[in-house]
Amino acid sequence: MNKPEIINILDRSQNGEYCTVKEWDVKRIPKAVKEKLEKYELKGVCDPENPVNMDAELADRFFKAGYEMALDLGMLCETTDRVIKVSDEELSEALKKAPSELTVGTGEDATVIKTRKPSDAYECKFGASLGITISEDVWPALTEGIARQEAVDVLEGGSLKSIYGLDVIPDAPSETLVGFEQAKQHVEIRKKAGRPGMGGIGQISAVTEYGQFGGYGIPGAFPTTDLSLILFPSELKVNYQTLHKVVHTLNVGGMIFAGSPAMIGGMPGPPEGAVLSCIACALLQYPVLQADVGGGEIYDIRYLSNVNRDGIWALSVTHQALSRNTNLLTHGIANQVSGPGTKELLYETVVGVSTIAVSGASFSTGPRSAGGKLDDYLTPLECRVCAEVAHAASGLSLEKVNEIAKALLPKFEDSIKDPHIGKIVHDVYDLEKFEAKPEWQGMYDEVKQEASDLGLVL
Amino acid sequence: MDNQKYIEELKQFIVEGDDEQAGPAAQAAIEAGVDPSTLIKEAINGPMDEVGKKFQSGDIFLPELIMIGDAARVASDVIVPHISVEDLDAASGGTVVIGTIQGDMHDIGKNIVSAYLMATGFKVKDLGTDVTPKEFVQAVADEKADVIAISTLLSTTQPLFANITKTLVDSGQREDVYVIVGGGPVTPEWAAEIGADGYGRDAADAADLTRQVMTAGKKAPFAKPLVVGALKQ
Repeated sequence: MNKPEIINILDRSQNGEYCTVKEWDVKRIPKAVKEKLEKYELKGVCDPENPVNMDAELADRFFKAGYEMALDLGMLCETTDRVIKVSDEELSEALKKAPSELTVGTGEDATVIKTRKPSDAYECKFGASLGITISEDVWPALTEGIARQEAVDVLEGGSLKSIYGLDVIPDAPSETLVGFEQAKQHVEIRKKAGRPGMGGIGQISAVTEYGQFGGYGIPGAFPTTDLSLILFPSELKVNYQTLHKVVHTLNVGGMIFAGSPAMIGGMPGPPEGAVLSCIACALLQYPVLQADVGGGEIYDIRYLSNVNRDGIWALSVTHQALSRNTNLLTHGIANQVSGPGTKELLYETVVGVSTIAVSGASFSTGPRSAGGKLDDYLTPLECRVCAEVAHAASGLSLEKVNEIAKALLPKFEDSIKDPHIGKIVHDVYDLEKFEAKPEWQGMYDEVKQEASDLGLVL
Repeated sequence: MDNQKYIEELKQFIVEGDDEQAGPAAQAAIEAGVDPSTLIKEAINGPMDEVGKKFQSGDIFLPELIMIGDAARVASDVIVPHISVEDLDAASGGTVVIGTIQGDMHDIGKNIVSAYLMATGFKVKDLGTDVTPKEFVQAVADEKADVIAISTLLSTTQPLFANITKTLVDSGQREDVYVIVGGGPVTPEWAAEIGADGYGRDAADAADLTRQVMTAGKKAPFAKPLVVGALKQ
């Protein structure tokens, strides 16, 4: 066991203070948020007119408040209704021991994710795509198409709806099967795309731990040079599903890539509350989940997105707070809502991903084309755009990215609540030639020019 | 205290989400002779439009909405037994069994819908998260539910939704209950594919949808699902 600290965490998940999920969500989280917002004078500071925060002192105040909130609350194991608290010493030790550099993949195709600061010239690395559901017959070509995008650093790909015609059902053996089979195909696809050592993220098709057991860190599956994806519930909650995945990844010597969104409009309330919850959660992933890369995710439930003004502001403050005050490897996601074949998807990408990159996140993944709602609504083109934006925005100033956001938000923000879902992959992308069809390519060329005119050169 | 003051006092406790005071205030109103149907209409259902608008505009958030729903439920539990059988149908929206499907731990959408439904007069049995199809179907029988409301944020759980409608058909219960679905990856087309009676795009739509299916005047299953909040091409 290379991280014995997990033993104490597992013990606390069984023997920590008793607290129901309802008490946690409806009483403890809002109470903690309210106290910290008052104590640190953070109420009402969200500035939607300047969605990319440029106030370093504000970010630092949020960090202090979030750190305190992490120590006050801990995380709730919702399987057992037990609170996993950590001491100040444990938290600061975990933050010190967490890696500031991580190699994903092997050889010349590997990607090195590093600690970054706001406006850091070292590129924010990008993994594509998110786990949008893809039909079994489309998945191989689409995933290869994503792997062939030079700009994409790490390959995740969509999630498989079925495997050998069998529906992938939670807790069913089909999850163990898809975990392994997807991993096997994933590794082969990287070779086919000419990037055999490209880093990957596994696994995405199964929701329970069976996918990890079947598909990560065992011979023939996702190797331990890939990231092991471990998502967990909001706000500051874990469960046995999460902890099984953590223990399995540690058992096989893998790398833990964790994440969970703090919800604007949810239990933490306003954008300022979501930032606090996000910072607390990001910090606690290191002692509680032994994360190598931890998530700083924001989601606005009023919009089912975070590329609205409040979401962009919350993303920028969260990542500036974390990057300015720690050496952690942190991750952010831009949650687009528009679909392939729409300019809005590209604008949402430019604003969302550039905010994450310029604010100091080490790593980002995406896109969430069509809000992740529809099967096969994903193309390699927007995966490439996300990566290009992440790289290009990395050395810019916060002021510049704020200007870009202000210029582009009016082009899509009115449609966020009622977005255009766009078109299915075959209508806009040729998966045999691995190129966008003229209409979609044309939209990319136009938005690329607009971005360049604003100072973001893709 | 005149009747209107009892109504206003109860309304205040509900919009403040004070479930400890809402019960005694409802009891006091009943004992003072306030008409129970009027209490439901003016002190509970009445304020909910305003509550809904405040939630949508971000003046209140989910914890407040849940507490308001709890206060409304506590008050309803006191008032409803005093309503005559003739007035009961008008006062009660029906019984809804709600949960997040097996494999999915996301509960935000479900919690919002539950709160809205409770606050607008439905009796809600919240099964929580990670609910198996078998548990959903069992709850329909146990609660004599009128509606099953299923949500998910994970596209990978969708095969299980079809399992629920199939199990209801196979067990001969399909005509006894309306099935409505919603959540991030769920679409109207997919709702039709699995034989659901209704699709709601977001939580606010779900409460409206529940009312619409129950007052449509048609037995389940519907030939095509009622859609509240369609996606735009």
